[in-house]
Parts: sequence; C-alpha cells; structure tokens
Amino acid sequence: MSVVERNNIRLHGAGDRTMVFAHGFGCDQNMWRYVEPAFRHRFRTVLFDHVGAGHSDLAAYDAAKYASLSGYADDVVQIGRELDLQNAVFVGHSVSAMIGTLASIEAPEMFADLIMVCPSPRYIDDGDYVGGFAADDIEELLASLADNHMGWSAAMAPAIMGNPDRPELGEELTNSFCRTDPEIARQFARATFTSDNRADLPKVKARTLILQSSDDIIASEQVGEYVHKSIPGSRIVYLKASGHCPNLSAPDEVISAVAKFV
Amino acid sequence: MKSYPRWPSLCDAEPSEDLEDLFENAPCGYLSMRPDGRVAKVNRTLCGWLDKQPEEIVGKRFRDLLNVPGRIFYETHFAPLLRMQGFFNEVALDLKTSDGSTIATIANASERRGDKDELLFTRLTIFKATERRRYERDLVDAQSTEREARLRLEENNADLTADVAEQVANRLLEKQNADLREQFIAVLGHDLRNPLAAINAGRRMIEKSHPDAKTARITRLMGESVTRMSGLIDNLMDFARGRLGGGIGVEIRHGDRIEPTLAQVVNEIRSSHPDTEIELRFDIPQTVDVDHARVAQMFSNLLGNAIAHGSKARPIVVDAGIVDGVFHLAVSNGGEAIPPAAIERLFQPFYRGDVSPSSQGLGLGLYIASQIAEAHGGQLDVNSDEIETKFSFKLPIT
Repeated sequence: MSVVERNNIRLHGAGDRTMVFAHGFGCDQNMWRYVEPAFRHRFRTVLFDHVGAGHSDLAAYDAAKYASLSGYADDVVQIGRELDLQNAVFVGHSVSAMIGTLASIEAPEMFADLIMVCPSPRYIDDGDYVGGFAADDIEELLASLADNHMGWSAAMAPAIMGNPDRPELGEELTNSFCRTDPEIARQFARATFTSDNRADLPKVKARTLILQSSDDIIASEQVGEYVHKSIPGSRIVYLKASGHCPNLSAPDEVISAVAKFV
Repeated sequence: MKSYPRWPSLCDAEPSEDLEDLFENAPCGYLSMRPDGRVAKVNRTLCGWLDKQPEEIVGKRFRDLLNVPGRIFYETHFAPLLRMQGFFNEVALDLKTSDGSTIATIANASERRGDKDELLFTRLTIFKATERRRYERDLVDAQSTEREARLRLEENNADLTADVAEQVANRLLEKQNADLREQFIAVLGHDLRNPLAAINAGRRMIEKSHPDAKTARITRLMGESVTRMSGLIDNLMDFARGRLGGGIGVEIRHGDRIEPTLAQVVNEIRSSHPDTEIELRFDIPQTVDVDHARVAQMFSNLLGNAIAHGSKARPIVVDAGIVDGVFHLAVSNGGEAIPPAAIERLFQPFYRGDVSPSSQGLGLGLYIASQIAEAHGGQLDVNSDEIETKFSFKLPIT
C-alpha cells in the first residue's frame, strides 16, 4: 500500500509552494474543511489522515511504531518525500503541531514554515511548568478509553471496525468524522497526552507561527507562550476564538492569521 | 327539571399542555449553550438529576459539568463534530452531580443558527442511561471474554496441531524403524545362515568321501559347532525381533496335546547327550494351547542349560502337568546354587554366568525363554538352592 493510500492523502489547489494540513487527536482531515480551501488559489494543499484516523489504512496501524509521536512524524516525512516537498508550509493542529516539529527537525529542508494551532509540548504539569493536567487526570482519561465506553455507545463500536474497506458506508454514519477504533484511540491518546517535546522546541529551524486560542483547556495561553519562548524567532498570535478548535469555530480568523504569515 | 350537558366544564377538566412546563419537567434533560460554550438555559429535570439549582449551572461552561477525561474528549471529539455536521447523536456523557458522583447519560445535540448562518445556540437533549451503560459494559466485557476465549482456542488448536504433527512424525519413525528391523532380521537370517549351510554341506561331502574314523570324529565336532552356531543365529534373530520393537511373536495352536512336542525335544537332547540321565514326570490330561515351536525352543533351552550347568551325579528332572488350571513345565537339576545376585540378572539379555569358555553363548537363551513365556501370557521363574536349581514355566489355561 502506498503512502498516498495509507494516509488517505488528498491534493487540491496549485501554487509554487505546498501547504500540508495535519489534524490532531480526535478527528480527521475534515478538521480543516473551512480553512484549507481558502489557500487553494495560492498553494498546492495536502490533506491527510494519521494512520488509525479517518480513512487511513487501519491495517498499517503498528502499535509499536505509533506508541510515540516520532512514529507519526516519520509518516509526515515520508509523505513529504513522496510528494517531493521542499520549502513547504506545515500547518499542525493540536498534537500535530508537535508532530510537525519533530518532522521539521528530521527533514529541515522540507518545511520552511511551521504553523502551530493550539500547540502543547507537554500536557502534564511538571514542576514550574504548567501543562494544564495532573498525571492522574491523564491516567483517568486513558483508563476511561481502555474501558471502551468513553464518548461513544460501546454497542456502536463494531460499526467503526466493520467499515475500513468500505469508506462509502462510513460517510453515512453520523459522528464518523471523529470515530476511531477504540484501541487505536486509546494508544493515540497515550502517545499524545504523555508526550514531552519541550527539549525539541529550540531545535526548530523553520519560521514558526503559534495560533493561541482563548479559553482552551487543552492548550492554555501559558503553554502557547512557553512554545513561543522556546522556539527562537517564533511569532504568536492570540485569537479571539475560544476553545481548542478555532479552525472549526473561527475559521476566518485562522485563515487571516495564516495568510498574513505566509 | 331539565338537565343540560355540561360541555364547558368537561372541557375545563382536561388540562391543556403547557409548553413551559413541558420544557421544565420533560422526562429528559434540556440544556442550551451559547456559542462560547456557556449554559444559557437548563430544565428542571436535568437540575434534579444533577442535584443543582438552575443558577448553579446557567452562565457556567457546559464542559465544567464533565469530569477531566470527559472534557478532553468533548473538546477533541464532540465540539469539532458539532461544528462539522451541526449535530451529534447518541454520545455518551458522564455528568457530575453536586456530590461529586457521576450519572451516565446519552446526549443528542444540534446547533441553532440564525439568518446569516451565525451560531445562536447549541441544544442538548439528555437521557439517563444508567441501565444502557451497564448493558454496554456487559457487552464490552463479553466481547473481551470472547476474544480471550478465541485466542485461547487458537492457541489450543495450534498446540493440538503440533501434537498431531509430532505423533504422525513418531509413527513414521516407528514405521521406518520397523522396516529397518525387518530388513536387519532378513539380512541376519540370510547372510549368516547361508554360509553356515554351505559349511554344513561341505562337512557332509567330506564325511562321505573320507569314511575313516579320524575324519568322522572331526566332522562330528564340526556338525556340533554348526548346530550350536545355528542356534545362536536363531537366538540373535529372536532377540532382534523382541528388542527392536516387534516383540517375540507366537502363533497359538488350539486343541493339540503338548506332550509329543516335549517328548521330541527330550529325544533330540538325549541323542546328542547320550550320557545324561533325564527323568520325565508328565501328567498332562488335557490339551494346552501354545505355540508349539516356541515352547519347544524354550524347553530345549532350559534342558540345554540344565545339562551345561547341572551336576552330572544327579538326573535332570522334567515335570510337566496341570494343577488348578495352571500348566507348568519345570526343569530341575542338581549342583551348586545360583548366587542371588546372578539370579536377578539371569533373564536379562547378554547375561552370562561363570561358565566354561566352551559353553559360552551370547547370554540370550534365558532372555528369549522368558520372552516366549511372557508372549504366551505366562511366566518363567527360577528357584535355586544347594539341593536343586529349578526353572518353571507357568501358564494359566482356563
């Protein structure tokens, strides 16, 4: 299976440069549906699903590889090589901001610009560092996911599992944008919420923009500012939008901030 | 007095449905959120479930009604979903009550948008789902139990397949061993016997062409050697059959008297050992079902031993009879007792006692004799003291 099929890569638009949009923990590439089209006239745009999410190839899911964010970063680098990316723009939401960080360190020539939407290098408090969550909170989250009753009716879980070969059926399922195999969801949650990429931030060479939401319980202002301070020469823009998904709740504000930066 | 139907009052008796009351006291929870995620309105039913006053909820963020994992999941899954499709259905939410416990609910939500598609409210309808959640948990448990059972079954199947493969391999090996054994025995029989037969034929020719006393003495000794060697080959073949797995085979003949068989063996021995005194005590009133050739072989061996090891001063006694449904054939001789240590090993193959070099064999005779006894379902025992040494074959015949 090719990288294109594995990560359900969708290409749109045209331009000298390419803009890659990466979704975070929870949903799939549809997270960018109100933002990505705005850049098609200037950029070739790339949408994809992380392995395990959306319409990616579930058979490619390897628990050992995706136990840490570096597995996902390797995929991003592979996607970049497949599409022969140079001097491109990487836009990562939530945990994908850190996945993009790792990818840009691994292949510095690939991404000239790094745009982080609601990033956090570490979710769990650590000494003076305030990530926003106690270790117990995250353990409780992982335990709930392991119980397999979090969020969705357990009885409907087989419907997710049953359709990876027939994505057209998935379209008919409500809630399908944010459905994941419960076991994969649990492991992605572990990789995400136990990650610590603070030491990687100073290694970033790409021009970096941080979009900081207000009232975001997943990635607070304090965390956004930590990222800003840790990446030399980075810029931070405070959005009026509240919550963890400004790309959905305030797409115009996100588009305008991104457009100004690139 | 005329009475009239009381229409108006009948109508009044039917209470009209009050929408405000329907909202407040509906059998489900209602909650509306402003675009910033704060609660705009909540009904009395939901307040009752959460054990909170409306003012404790209105103006607060909806997500604050959830525990921390619930908030993370709400922010990363349900809030985006609402924006993407304008609604969500059948989402499981655990809501916190005032005493810190949680109640399991199922929620549907939809966005209410204005004329310019701007978000006005997000409305949630919430159902208690304690029982449902329990069924779901049971279902999940059942699924994981089933999965474990299936894994165990697969493991067992794999083990079983391996066992069967091993058994098939073993059988194949046994079969190959059996083939090898038969081949070995055939080679033994053919390759050793043929030259011996040639030597014997040559001996007879010499006997005929040189009828002098000196030659006769030599050819007689040669004949004895040929007979002994032929016996050794027979023993070796029996041992090979017995030890290499096949066991000594017996072909039981039914309804024949055993006495003539025994008498023939005695005659043969007497003719080759004319000086030896053999006393016979036969009392065999009925037939005994045995492999006559094998019993003759065993008997011949026992007699041969008695002659070789016994005292010449006393006769060899053969006692054969049936007592209490047991056939016995005993051969006894006088002479020194066999030491107890030697008796233990007497029936083991290749055991040779302290005998003169001329009478040395392979040490297979008694081993084969005992194998023949066992193959008949009987047994061969020995008793030895200063007075006599007695080998007894006993075989139940009823």
